Amino acid sequence: MKRALFALALLAYPRAFRRRFGAEMSDDFRRRPLGAVDTVRTVVTLAKNGLAERGVAIGRWAWFSNATPHLYEPTGRHHMFFDTLRADVRHALRLAVKTPVFTALTVLALALGIGATTAIFAVINGVLLRALPYHDDARLVNVWSHNTIENRPRNPISPANFLDFQRMNTTLDGLEGYFAIVTPTNLQTESGTEVAATLFVTSNLFNVLGRPAALGRTFAAAGETQAVLLSDGYWRRRFGGDPGVVGRTLTLYGTPFQVIGVMPRDFVFPYPGMLGPSGFTRVTAIDMWLPISFSGPTATANRMLTSSGEIVRTAHWWGAIGRVKTGVPLPQVDADLKKIAAQLEQTYPATNKGWSATVVRSIDQSVGAIRPALMILLAGIAFVLIMASVNVANLLLARSVAREKELATRVALGAGRSRIARQLLTESLLLSAAAGSAGLLVMWWTLNALIAFAPADLPRINEVTIDWRVLLTASLTTILTGLLVGVLPAMSSATVNPQATLQDASRGSVGGGRRRRARAALVIAEVALAVAITTGAVLMLRSFVSVTNVNPGFDTSGVLTWQMNLPPRLTSTADRLAFYQDFFARMGALPGVVSVGGTTRVPLGSTSVSTQLQRESHPLPAAELPEVQFRRAMHDYFQAMGIPIRRGRGFELTDVSTAPPVAVINQTMASTLFPNEDPIGQRIRIGSAPTGTWTTIVGVIGDVRHGGLEDEPQPEMYITYLQGPPVSPFIVMRTAGEPALLAESVRAEMRRIDKNVPLYDMRTLSALRSDAISTRRFILLIVGAFGLLALGLAAIGVYGVMSLIVSERTREVGVRLALGAKPSQLLGMIVRQAATLGAIGVAIGVLVALPMALLLQGQLYGIHSIDPATFLSVPAVLLLISALAALVPARKAMRIDPIAALRLD
Amino acid sequence: MDRFRPESFLPLTPVAFEILLALADGERHGYSILQEVEHRSAGAVSLHAGTLYRALARLLETELIEELRQAPDPKHDDERRRYYRLTARGIAVAKAEIVRLEGQLTAARARRLLTGARA
Repeated sequence: MKRALFALALLAYPRAFRRRFGAEMSDDFRRRPLGAVDTVRTVVTLAKNGLAERGVAIGRWAWFSNATPHLYEPTGRHHMFFDTLRADVRHALRLAVKTPVFTALTVLALALGIGATTAIFAVINGVLLRALPYHDDARLVNVWSHNTIENRPRNPISPANFLDFQRMNTTLDGLEGYFAIVTPTNLQTESGTEVAATLFVTSNLFNVLGRPAALGRTFAAAGETQAVLLSDGYWRRRFGGDPGVVGRTLTLYGTPFQVIGVMPRDFVFPYPGMLGPSGFTRVTAIDMWLPISFSGPTATANRMLTSSGEIVRTAHWWGAIGRVKTGVPLPQVDADLKKIAAQLEQTYPATNKGWSATVVRSIDQSVGAIRPALMILLAGIAFVLIMASVNVANLLLARSVAREKELATRVALGAGRSRIARQLLTESLLLSAAAGSAGLLVMWWTLNALIAFAPADLPRINEVTIDWRVLLTASLTTILTGLLVGVLPAMSSATVNPQATLQDASRGSVGGGRRRRARAALVIAEVALAVAITTGAVLMLRSFVSVTNVNPGFDTSGVLTWQMNLPPRLTSTADRLAFYQDFFARMGALPGVVSVGGTTRVPLGSTSVSTQLQRESHPLPAAELPEVQFRRAMHDYFQAMGIPIRRGRGFELTDVSTAPPVAVINQTMASTLFPNEDPIGQRIRIGSAPTGTWTTIVGVIGDVRHGGLEDEPQPEMYITYLQGPPVSPFIVMRTAGEPALLAESVRAEMRRIDKNVPLYDMRTLSALRSDAISTRRFILLIVGAFGLLALGLAAIGVYGVMSLIVSERTREVGVRLALGAKPSQLLGMIVRQAATLGAIGVAIGVLVALPMALLLQGQLYGIHSIDPATFLSVPAVLLLISALAALVPARKAMRIDPIAALRLD
Repeated sequence: MDRFRPESFLPLTPVAFEILLALADGERHGYSILQEVEHRSAGAVSLHAGTLYRALARLLETELIEELRQAPDPKHDDERRRYYRLTARGIAVAKAEIVRLEGQLTAARARRLLTGARA
């Protein structure tokens, strides 16, 4: 045992050292009786010394190889290995210096490929692979209610159901809740009222996430209500990073809240993916966290309690995040919560019928949606890197032809085939090592550009950094590239026949067949890869065009929009209506304003809210009632948005609260809920309560794409603000000129109306529309760049190979010309040859692209993944490129002087 | 060839100096050097095998010691054992090191650093 340990530690020494001293050292060790502790100490010292000795040996080999004779006998393969390596490296360096342009071009091409690949990997690493900023994030899960009737597996939870999940589960070490909506909260200060994006959380949430505050503390486990926790960003922006902020008092909801702490800079909660579909605002970056209270005035204000004082079970707006107990597998947690949901369904059939539960890993909840798009990018860049490598391999192959004499001489002098292959591999690895180092710079720039151009709503893009995984990937990519680039030239040159090569002075006449096949394979591979990448890029481009051409149902040009919060002093409906009357009159009178209106949910990127609906003509049980999107229209909303009224009328000033309640619905709702009847005059009741007033439908408007340009319109109804004024509306203002120019006069006018009404999230509708496709545009830009690069690389590749073939066949061409071949025939021959290779490549490429396109399906819009236009045009373009790339060398061949060509020998 | 200057080897590492001292009274093999050093220092200096042989390697390279072709006493010859002895250069360097150490010792005495420890 001891001796085995000793022998193992001895391996740390260089082989030559072991040969010389190893026996003595083992003998010494055997002679000396040692205790266990001393043995370990000896062995460790031995290993340490051995490694140090190895360092000395390598240092000597590198710096003083010739100057200092080796002490230990210079025998053994170990020594040979390094000597050979040194010789090869020297030779490669000399060669590199002698052909600077070739070296620079190859290194540049590979550096671009390696750098870009690594940069894309860095994004994937930061977004998908790195841990979320919570303690032991692999054990965190998000818990949702599953609406099985309408098939919404990730529906927010109701507070009463959450409390039951929290109490009854057996597989979680803590389950905490939060509002799955961001609440714009009014912060009253001496200079006026501001808005802070707020998230309400249960007080133990930060303990379950396992993150303490950077400054101060997080919420006490129970009962703390008038406390507020700030995010790092808000603390720096609003309070200038003053550490004295802890303990200060902020006035929120008209009551004092004490600042108890500031969260760390890297802390993010929630990620946008953890929020529900409904909400009051488009903002997702949190300024402050407030504790949820289950009783008292805040609970009432947040509609936590029913009229009889119980916690609400019917309204679903909570998210939940829990920590799985150590060693419990995810399916078991899922089963546990589904079982509880089933029990609740039994106990509360009226509210819980059809509600199950869903458990999702928090990392999937946060970034799962972006994963496919990023994987497409990774596959695309890998293809581009392979193409660049193939091009370089081709160049090296060409050079190995030029070096045939040198290699043949070496073989003749006794170099083995493996020796030659090894030399060529060393050269290509050196090239790729240089490219890898330069690639780090490329990666740095690319990464910065990617982060700068990335859409702001790409989750976790701010968490992308260069860490050890990125560097490891960069080195592995470099080594792989070196092998990929070098293996074909090495194999083809290792079979060089010295006698034939040295006797025959002409180039490429012997062993040419093998090499020509290798080259043909390279061209085919490149064309095939180019077809695959370009097909993907064109599919993305066509989808993008489809999305851009979607008619959103409203006119996005010339409209300014913002959100605002009414001051809390306006508690009565009459007060609010009076405020709005004044507000719309004064805003409408601003110069350049065409019409102004508002709504509770602005389309594209805002959130939505839905309600159950009863139809007077179709009575249904409560659990089967249809659900429709629900919004309010304010003032001239339909006009300001350019939403057309298809039937009936819009809202009028006479539709006040004392008049009969009226509603306007969209075409989708008209056709789905009233398929064969006239919806005008039909009566509906909002909600599921069996009593209440009926609302009459007075008009039908055009469909609007609310969720996003790619989302089909949903059934949707509007009521007028005159019959229920909202407190945080989105205002839309149609202007005669450039809407952004009006922003300042709007703000100034608002200050004159009421300085305590903050305006926020002000932007133009065209910017909203542009943002709605920003992720798609981002991915398209990158994939498009890959596609162009692929086309360019394919053209260069075909051109390079055809030029080589032509120059190798100079003599043959000369003979043909001398025998009377027409130049045009030769041109045709060479172009045909290139086109044949191109056609094989295209065929293989289409075979690769077909399954790839099916994988892309989820990312496409408006076209089928096997889009005929794409699958016909891309191969045609590649064929054309192959032929054109051969044209230049072919024309050169035509101009060959037969006499000069024949004299070459 | 460069002129040999013993000073260029100074200061010696403690291990190297111990080895030179151990070889001063004749040839020894590695294990015997280990024993001698531990015996003379009454266990205060403990050489590990790793340290010893690396130091031997450096001394051999700089030709301060050399290896014997044969064991001094054929009866005790052990195939695995190599014997080492001081070269002329080694003796010169050891002397130079002793002079250097003496100088330091004298300086220390002059400053009465050793008062109390030794008269």
